[in-house]
Amino acid sequence: MPFMLPTILKNLFTGYATRLYPVQVREPFENARGHITFNEDKCIMCGACAQRCPSVAITVEKKKNILTFYPLRCLVCEVCVHVCPSDAIDLIYKWRSPLDHKPIELYKSVRLEHIRESTEEAKQEVPEERD
Amino acid sequence: MSRAHSHLLWLGLLADAFGFESMFLQFWRIRERVLDLIEMTAGHRVIPSVNIVGGVRRDINAEQKKMVLDALPVIRKECEDLIKVVVNDYTVKSRTTGVGVLTKEQAFLLGCVGPVLRASGVREDVRLTKYDAYGDLSFEPVVETAGDCYARALVRARELLHSIDLQIEALSKLPEGEIAIKVRGNPPANEAIMRTEAPRGELFYYAKGNGTRNLERMKIRTPTFNNLPSLLVMLPGNQLPDVPVIVLSIDPCICCMER
Repeated sequence: MPFMLPTILKNLFTGYATRLYPVQVREPFENARGHITFNEDKCIMCGACAQRCPSVAITVEKKKNILTFYPLRCLVCEVCVHVCPSDAIDLIYKWRSPLDHKPIELYKSVRLEHIRESTEEAKQEVPEERD
Repeated sequence: MSRAHSHLLWLGLLADAFGFESMFLQFWRIRERVLDLIEMTAGHRVIPSVNIVGGVRRDINAEQKKMVLDALPVIRKECEDLIKVVVNDYTVKSRTTGVGVLTKEQAFLLGCVGPVLRASGVREDVRLTKYDAYGDLSFEPVVETAGDCYARALVRARELLHSIDLQIEALSKLPEGEIAIKVRGNPPANEAIMRTEAPRGELFYYAKGNGTRNLERMKIRTPTFNNLPSLLVMLPGNQLPDVPVIVLSIDPCICCMER
């Protein structure tokens, strides 16, 4: 025990090593990988992120125009961010706050919806003209 | 840096295994600062996810380099103070000296790797093959001859200090230039083997491609797989309270082994 004494004495006169977490939160580093967010305006539902995701946290259903994201499966490995052809996935340096349930996030592609709507309108318009 | 935080974790767990709680928390407090440095540069705490095919994903800027170089000598000083306790303390010595002895021949025959093998007196380290940048660094493997739990603790403690020295040397010698090259095309129909030295010992990768996008076979052999049989030699004849210390002395990671 005597060899531990200097460390113990030093600790007695220095501050706490831990923080009072929920009250006092350390600011995350600028380079930290907090979580990812999807930009619905840019997404084209190509499914490249879902193919590459190592933890199967993203599934893409192009026909239904739904992107499902399971945040608690995500490792924030940054693969999807680099693979996305339309830069629709952003890396945010702040951590997600603690949760008491498993959330599922649903996204849709605004562009794809827009194209769908216009084609449906066109389809509806065409038969009317023929009639 | 991974080796530094892994050994700090292990030294803390060793102290915990024989009930030295205050030393356990002191080691983990230093480890937290090493993890902060990893998070600052790589983005994640334990699994940095920076390695990609062809290079690395992130570069270190001048400001980060300066912060790491400033922090490492302070961390080294704190480690030295605590390692003095591991080396000299009566409690640590009485619980680990002569416990779980593994002789040089046994360690070699059972195929042990890493600190377990080096603590038994075999000068074996994959970093001696000078893969990656280890050829440019003044690396020297840490070897002990006793082969008991105390020797394994000493090997890891001295490796911890040596790894901090290597980090400082590597950072000050860090060359400028591209961090990754673009790799195009599918993996060729061929096989490849790679050995690297992980904190726990030799890590072995085998990959076989068949010309398509997906690999035909991929095998990872982690150091725990090699070190686990040594328990058969070390455990018999010991008292029950020594079992946690002996099992811990090979630094087992069963979830890594099972693949």
